[in-house]
Amino acid sequence: MAAPHPEYIRFTTHKSLAHRLVLSTLTGRPIHISQIRSSSPTQTGLTPHEISLLRLLESVTNGSSIQISYTGTTLTYSPGLITGSMEGLGASGGVIKCILPDTITRGVSWFLIPLCILAPFSKAPMNVKFEGEGVITSATETGDISADSVRTAILPLYERFGILPSKLELRILQRSCAGQGGKGGGGVVELRFGSQVRLPKTLHMNRSPGRVRRIRGVAYSTGVSASNNARMIHTARGILNPLVSDVHVAAQYDQAPLVSSKDKSNPGAKKRTGIGFGLSLVAESSTDGVLYSADVASPSQGGVTPEDIGKRCAYQLLEVVSQGGSVTRIGATTVLTLMAMGSEDVGRLRLGREVIGTEEAVGLGRDLKRFGASSWGLRDVEEDESGDILVSVKGTGVGNVGRKIA
Amino acid sequence: LHGQKRSYRTIDLAKLMYDVSLTPAEAIRKWRGEGVEEGENIEASDEDDEAFFKKSSREVADDQLEDRAIPILDYNSLEERWSVEDNVANLRHRFATADLLGEKEA
Repeated sequence: MAAPHPEYIRFTTHKSLAHRLVLSTLTGRPIHISQIRSSSPTQTGLTPHEISLLRLLESVTNGSSIQISYTGTTLTYSPGLITGSMEGLGASGGVIKCILPDTITRGVSWFLIPLCILAPFSKAPMNVKFEGEGVITSATETGDISADSVRTAILPLYERFGILPSKLELRILQRSCAGQGGKGGGGVVELRFGSQVRLPKTLHMNRSPGRVRRIRGVAYSTGVSASNNARMIHTARGILNPLVSDVHVAAQYDQAPLVSSKDKSNPGAKKRTGIGFGLSLVAESSTDGVLYSADVASPSQGGVTPEDIGKRCAYQLLEVVSQGGSVTRIGATTVLTLMAMGSEDVGRLRLGREVIGTEEAVGLGRDLKRFGASSWGLRDVEEDESGDILVSVKGTGVGNVGRKIA
Repeated sequence: LHGQKRSYRTIDLAKLMYDVSLTPAEAIRKWRGEGVEEGENIEASDEDDEAFFKKSSREVADDQLEDRAIPILDYNSLEERWSVEDNVANLRHRFATADLLGEKEA
């Protein structure tokens, strides 16, 4: 904003678009993204979920400017200050409402995870309520985790950064699976992120990740028989019980959400959507703050038994546990970003080879560097035979920009 | 085998990570010591598909750019892997039910 000719950081394609927008907002550096699905004849340019995220970013910041080209393949974003849900800036009653349209194919976690990374740096508490016909709280086939996993596996990670867990809350007011064709749902989710810090502390999770001592989880059925829950839990327990005896999975049964039926002759008509079931499992380690999670939900076209879902979820959990490290793939983005944006101190994080050795992790490291964070140091863990990699991240002290100025 | 192990070293990853001449996918492949993947043969491999509209290789590449929190897993091979007693036994040391005395001796 201040400079007349801002220097854009230039990116191409829609890869990690959400995270690049988050980094841009945190560091206050404008970005220019081109070639967004430019060669696709069917889905050119930005998708509905990406547009919704941009709208959400605009409503939780003050002074952001977004320009999208006519075809939607080029995006220019100049970030403003992260204000959170301040009265008079779009919030009513301290809550910002984010309405998602019914064309969205991504789960609500796709919005929640980036939003949570911004929240500690906000000027006021970040309270956002997601509603509308596009809120899918379950895991999706597009690879999103369920809102339950965000609550049980992502939010606890923030405690390590000096953020009060008592002020974080994710309420799932109405559950929904993906609707017909994997599009839309009718869920309602409310995120209350009431703990803002000057600078998040860095993290030293370089010790042994400990042993898994208990498994918790949520099985959910929306609009289908509640017995699906029992069947999923039964199969998952069959696989996990020989390894851990302390397995406790909660069963959640809900009616399918009602949404408008889009019938022009009868505008008041409603229909049920978002029918399905799924399972979210979280393995807790004896070391504080080490969580492994797995998520599977039934595909929207159906045809998969609850036994299969339970089995897949249990195997996925075993796979994630076997990858090792203190943070899983799902949590790594959040943790590494907060470490890089946090206090100017070197933090250490132990990650499994399979976690750091992924395209996402490499892409994340490169993105962080382009936004001015320092490079990661990598070395082998020598204390044991796990083959994990120790990542040292130096913070850049970005901190709470909004508070600094105001 | 020896050569492959060497290319999986941590030091190499640190170098490859910030080598912007490679895409992240290429960097990871190089680190793992895998050769060039059959990325170009995607079209040829599903020739038998009777679908009229085929995705071009560029579109397939576009699909791979979509971010996924949970990677696409082959659950059949996972099931095979975790049905083998040895693999489960190897994983057991990551669980609190492991025999701690046995591990101390090792």
